[in-house]
Amino acid sequence: MAEFLEIIRQLPLLSSILFLTVLGLLIIILLPEERPETIKVVSAVISGAILIVCILLYMGYDQGRGGLQFVERSIWVKSLGIYYFNAVDGINLPMLLLTGIVLFTGVLTMWQLEKRVKEYFAFTFLLVLGVFGVFMAFDLFFLFVYYDIALFPMYPLIAIWGSTRKEYGAMKLTLYLLAGSALILPGIVLLFIKSGLWTFDMIALSQAHFSPVVQSIGFLLFLFGFGVLAGLWPFHTWSPVGHVAAPTAVSMIHAGVLMKLGAYGVLRVGGFLCPEGWAQWSELMAVLATVGVVYGAFVGLAQTDLKYVIGYSSVSHMGLVSLGLSTVTVSGVNGAVFQMFAHGIMTALLFSSVGYIYDKTHTKMIPELGGMSRNMPYISGFFILAALAGVGVPCLASFWAELLVFISAVQTYPVRGILAICGLLISALFMLRVVAKTFYGPANPKFAGLPDINIWLASPRAILAGCIVLFGLFPWMMLNLIQVSTVPLIGRVVGY
Amino acid sequence: MLSQVRLFLPELYFLFMGLVLFAVSVGRGAPNPRRTYHTAFVLSAIGLIVSLGSLFVEGELFFQAYRVDLFSQIFKVFLSLGMFLVVTICSRLDGVEERYHPEFFLFLTTCTIGMMLLVSSVELITLFVALELSSYSLYILLPLRRGGGERSAEAGVKYFFMGAVASAVMLFGMSYLYGVCHTTHLVDIFKRLPDAVFMPGAIIGLVLTLAGLFFKLAVVPFQSWAPDVYEGGSNQLVAYIASASKVAAMAILIRLTALTGANSAYFMNLLIILSLIGMTFGNLVAIKQRDFKRMLAYSSIAHAGYVLMGILTMSDAGYSSVIYYGLVYLVLNFACFLVIVLVSEKGDNVSIDQFAGLYKRAPLLAATLLLGVFGLAGLPPTGGFTGKFLIFIAVIQKGYLWLAIVAMINVTISLYYYIGVVKAAYLLPPAPDSVDIPVSTPMRFLNYLIIAMIIWLGVYPEIVYDLASLAAKAVL
Repeated sequence: MAEFLEIIRQLPLLSSILFLTVLGLLIIILLPEERPETIKVVSAVISGAILIVCILLYMGYDQGRGGLQFVERSIWVKSLGIYYFNAVDGINLPMLLLTGIVLFTGVLTMWQLEKRVKEYFAFTFLLVLGVFGVFMAFDLFFLFVYYDIALFPMYPLIAIWGSTRKEYGAMKLTLYLLAGSALILPGIVLLFIKSGLWTFDMIALSQAHFSPVVQSIGFLLFLFGFGVLAGLWPFHTWSPVGHVAAPTAVSMIHAGVLMKLGAYGVLRVGGFLCPEGWAQWSELMAVLATVGVVYGAFVGLAQTDLKYVIGYSSVSHMGLVSLGLSTVTVSGVNGAVFQMFAHGIMTALLFSSVGYIYDKTHTKMIPELGGMSRNMPYISGFFILAALAGVGVPCLASFWAELLVFISAVQTYPVRGILAICGLLISALFMLRVVAKTFYGPANPKFAGLPDINIWLASPRAILAGCIVLFGLFPWMMLNLIQVSTVPLIGRVVGY
Repeated sequence: MLSQVRLFLPELYFLFMGLVLFAVSVGRGAPNPRRTYHTAFVLSAIGLIVSLGSLFVEGELFFQAYRVDLFSQIFKVFLSLGMFLVVTICSRLDGVEERYHPEFFLFLTTCTIGMMLLVSSVELITLFVALELSSYSLYILLPLRRGGGERSAEAGVKYFFMGAVASAVMLFGMSYLYGVCHTTHLVDIFKRLPDAVFMPGAIIGLVLTLAGLFFKLAVVPFQSWAPDVYEGGSNQLVAYIASASKVAAMAILIRLTALTGANSAYFMNLLIILSLIGMTFGNLVAIKQRDFKRMLAYSSIAHAGYVLMGILTMSDAGYSSVIYYGLVYLVLNFACFLVIVLVSEKGDNVSIDQFAGLYKRAPLLAATLLLGVFGLAGLPPTGGFTGKFLIFIAVIQKGYLWLAIVAMINVTISLYYYIGVVKAAYLLPPAPDSVDIPVSTPMRFLNYLIIAMIIWLGVYPEIVYDLASLAAKAVL
């Protein structure tokens, strides 16, 4: 086993993830449109391979040693100090793993797609290329390039294959997110210039001592720039609309992974490079996060469309992530990163289940669905499991994440922490009410004869459910990894 | 003597090309568009090679009125590249009557000569003559459109009148500059102007001189010719105006703004205001446009604002970013016009609705359009992003963080109308009566080349950026 791990550690696994994604993209572009089955098989194989690489990365990371591993660094543009720099540490490794899982299960979820299959999978691979790139990049130029590459395929993915108000949702989402990136780019260039190092290498920049003013402005730009994508209140309004409009797997990737990109950006670019700014603006961040948690819960309470419910619940849960980040403590950030992972899986499972139900019943409106657990017990089981995870039931992954966030939030910001816990109670209320109305109660006779999920279509949902339970029962598998990097990160802020 | 010929080689070659085309145009006999096209194609290809070969020559000619250095030569390469690319899409010159095809290419050549002379001029009167040469060529070319009817005549008349006024104003400004500095050579003006720049006469002279060039670049408030000219001119001609003539204007604006030596806060503020208004106005009005060329005109007004941002930094980083952006802008505009020419029937204007279902009718053209439009918007991984990124570095280095933020907000606004184009091409189904667009093999090759260039300029800026940095140092 040890030799196997040693071999893995020598391989350029990060570049191979990017390479596999580009390979998948090129193969799909070259395949003819008339062979959708081939395209789907190719997508599944490539995304499965990427997932395996992510798992290998997870196994190969030496938690005892910590720090950056699997480093790949070479000069890209000498005159501007741009480096091709990929690495993993405890914070982005869970994110890479999450993306691999959600991509693979997302591809399997869309197995029954018929419309313009080739373009769908091509845009999907383009999207995940950007997402993987952001998570593994340690060079600001590349991070931003990948960030925008991840953003613009959302427009065609939603506008072509989406449902409710798809063009409005797609345009709103794209413009909002790109407006956020409009704040990030000046921030990046500001850091580039003020460091005096003429480089975009994030490790080098983290050692440059920026003046407090620069850190303050920089963090603010990154907070709001990345925060838009993280669903930071009040810039979250693109999110529920986008969730509802998007097709199933796109919602999975969007809520499961894309919103985590925003939170990751706040932490990695904002917190890592501008620690003093992070400490300075943490109060404001905590206020906005708490409002987001409570607001998302209350608005979710009023929704009648299942996807809107999940969308607002996402806003609320991402508020928890921001709250954890705003505490600037080890356990807060641990909780935030773990919540990013756990919520990602959970929300992917939620959307995946709703997607199947919508495919079969052609409705997402709660009043019309009723007693689904009698008609389709298995898919209902998956949804209910995910809903319970969202509520924070122990033995499921989100429990530990929310626990850590709440403990550190109450310790650092007592009032806001208590308010956030109340928000959680409200969100438990609406989640359980949704479950009761949709899955229990009298069965709607209109849907009596619909087929429940078969074993093949159930497999992605089962994978997601398995992850939720696995990390719920053995949280140390993820938490130890995250802790390895959170401790030095917070140490930087405190020691500043 | 021979070394002097070497310095002047690109211009002499294009003069020769012009004479050949002149001979073709006065020839009797039935017009032979194929032969004319092949002649122009081969000659402009050789012209591009000649310009590339003359990239690293340096020297002065004509009593120091004419400077040949890396800065001028790099722009001559861009101009001959622009000319060559436009000629490649002229194989089916539907927008112009057959008997005028030789004249079309002839005046394109004279315009290129004029612009090449312009980027090398370091003396005011030479500058003016070169500018007039290029402008008059365009005045003649605009009304040549067949079937354009009123619109092309209107465009021609508007461009001519406004251009004439701009030139007159420019000459007047130059007279003031002469009055203040007692010389017309830019090098000497550079020595004397920074001290004198507080005099009202100097400011007036500078602003009026620049007004003529702002007209060319379509900087607000001298931009009103752009939408009508873009809409009224034949597609290939507008491709040339949109790409090459803008690049030449950028070059000479760099040279002239470098004159002030960054001493005048008043002047800087003026440029900042023009840049801001230009960006915002161009982007906001473009939202309403339905004709794609008109939309591109307003987008060019916005881009003039971005470019002006880079020019006003008056630093080496700023100039090199503008030079880089010049090439990027050339390629991106050409990509859009390439698609316009291949999609348009009989040389007519293309409205955005006509792109409906382009992904089915011609997937390669849809991809080129997507990259061109996203490049103009400034999204990675296209060259448009890298160009804007480099401009932002220069701007923030000078301390104008807020200007960069405003520019980025404008980029987001511009995305709204650019996405409208992409939406038509990729989302909408083809119109019931539309047909698949055949793309010939040379055109396929051209598309691949343009796509590769856009992505290369976006992802690997090193080579061109290093060249641009060297050129920027040679400005004055």
